[in-house]
Formats: sequence, structure tokens, C-alpha cells
Amino acid sequence: MRGFEARGGEAVATLDDEERLVIGRIVADVAGLLGAEPFGLEIEEHGTTASDIDDPFEYLRGLEESIKEPSDPAILRLLPNAAPTDREVSDEFRRLTDGELRATKIRRLRRIWEELSGTTDEWVVPADEALATAAALTDVRLVLASRLGLATDEDAERLHSEIDLATHALETDDEHTLPIDPERVWLGMLYQALTWLQETLVEYVAGTEETDV
Amino acid sequence: MGIDEQLEREGGVATRLDDVWVTIVWNDPVNLMSYVTQVFQTYFHLPREVAAQRMREVHENGRSVLSSGPREKMEVDVQAMHSYGLWATMQRSGE
Repeated sequence: MRGFEARGGEAVATLDDEERLVIGRIVADVAGLLGAEPFGLEIEEHGTTASDIDDPFEYLRGLEESIKEPSDPAILRLLPNAAPTDREVSDEFRRLTDGELRATKIRRLRRIWEELSGTTDEWVVPADEALATAAALTDVRLVLASRLGLATDEDAERLHSEIDLATHALETDDEHTLPIDPERVWLGMLYQALTWLQETLVEYVAGTEETDV
Repeated sequence: MGIDEQLEREGGVATRLDDVWVTIVWNDPVNLMSYVTQVFQTYFHLPREVAAQRMREVHENGRSVLSSGPREKMEVDVQAMHSYGLWATMQRSGE
């Protein structure tokens, strides 16, 4: 994996087949949590293009009486209560914004998924989509962080040391003597990889703004 | 909420100049400092240095007030922050 670098008017990262597959899958999963149709199945199963079935009720959502707070803590983090101490303000905000926020987030995730579903190793992000792509990476990282129980800065630091320990144990063939939860280590490493990719993409955005001035 | 009640409330809010709300961004363990700075710079049109200072406020004090104004405007700002994955809330100024 190579992080994002500027090339012409674009940011380009390099990912191998497995990396593209894994990131494409988690991106599609997060979109699914937000209520998207499964990515990739639309065309085969329905014979329609993605945009045809892109939530025809999006603009009707605002007319609904109320929209419930998400019960999944990961989705609640993506669509938080706008006023935790004022139910009326929170409900009103959710009624007005829930449909549009979900549609925006799903659109950005879909763009990443489509880019990673191609046949080249390069992940190309045009300059004017770089910050939106970084935002989608944040959404994916927020969901992973919720699954990993990262609630504080200390939790995040502990995860990093756990993974260092696990990596070391694997390298020295010592994995049976340490209490390692393989799923946690795997999700943690994916989280770290996405963090690093996002960091390089944000660096790219900051770099383009400097040259604009 | 009935329509009359809603109209009355929204009409009332719109005419009260002293009804000032604020948008607050809270610290979280996921968002990168560089990303938060970039979002503040891009969305609130802050100079880089000011954006970075607000980001440090969020990181070190746990929260920072990013904007203030009428409730409807704060709803727009909070929605934008949520679209970027930042943890933002709104409340009446001084509450």
C-alpha cells in the first residue's frame, strides 16, 4: 500500500488486490448500515443503474412526523443527536437532516467503492473530491472505532500497543502464548491502515490549498 | 407538534434577535488533528492558524464553539459538521 500523493490535479494511492477488496467491502458495509442498497448487486439483480434506485424517498423524509434515533451506537456516532439535552431540538434536527446526511454519506462511500472495484492498483481521487473522500474515510473509521470500543484517546492508544504486541508475537511465532483476539487485531489493523491513508489524503488537501494562495 | 404550534414557534424564533445559538464541536478519539483543522478551514473559511488553534481547543479542552447565530443557521453548521464526521451539537448561547 502506498499513501496518497499529488499527481497532476489528483491524489493517487496504490493498493494491491486484497487491500482494494477489504477496503471496498468495509466501505460497502458502512453504506449498508446507513441504509444503502448493497453495492454491486443493483445492476445484476434489478437491471437498473444505481442512480435509478438511489432512494426515491429521500426528499419525502423531511415530511415524516419524526425519525427515530439510531439504535446502533456506530450509526448514532455518524448521525449524532444535535442537542443531547434538548429532545425537541434533536428530533427536529433529525427530521430535517437525516435523509440528506445519509444520502451524502452513501454517495461518497459509493464513489470510493466504485473506484476500488476497478481493475487498476491505483486509487485516483480528483482534487475537488479529496475532502469528501476523507470525510467518507472518517465515517468508516468511526464505525470501526465504535466496534473496537474506542471511546477515549486512551482507548485508541491502547489499541495501538495491542496491535504492536500482536504483530510482534506473529513475527516471532509467539501468537499462541499471548491472549490475542484475531478479529480485534484484524479490525484494528484495518483501522490503522485507513487512518494512515486518510492522513496522506488530508496532507494532499492541505498541500493543494497552500499552492492556491 | 401541530402546524400552528410549529409556525408560532419558528416565527417567534425568527423575530427574536437576542435568541443566539452556538455550534460546538467536541473531541473524539477518531478524528485526525490535520483533518479537523482542514474541515474548520474549509467550511468556516478560517485562516489556517485560527483553524489549527480551534482544533487544539477541541483536542485539549474537549470542545470549542465554532459559530454562533440564529437556530436555523446553527442547524446548517451542525449538519455540515456531521457530514464531515465531526461530533457537533447546538444549544442556546449561555446555556
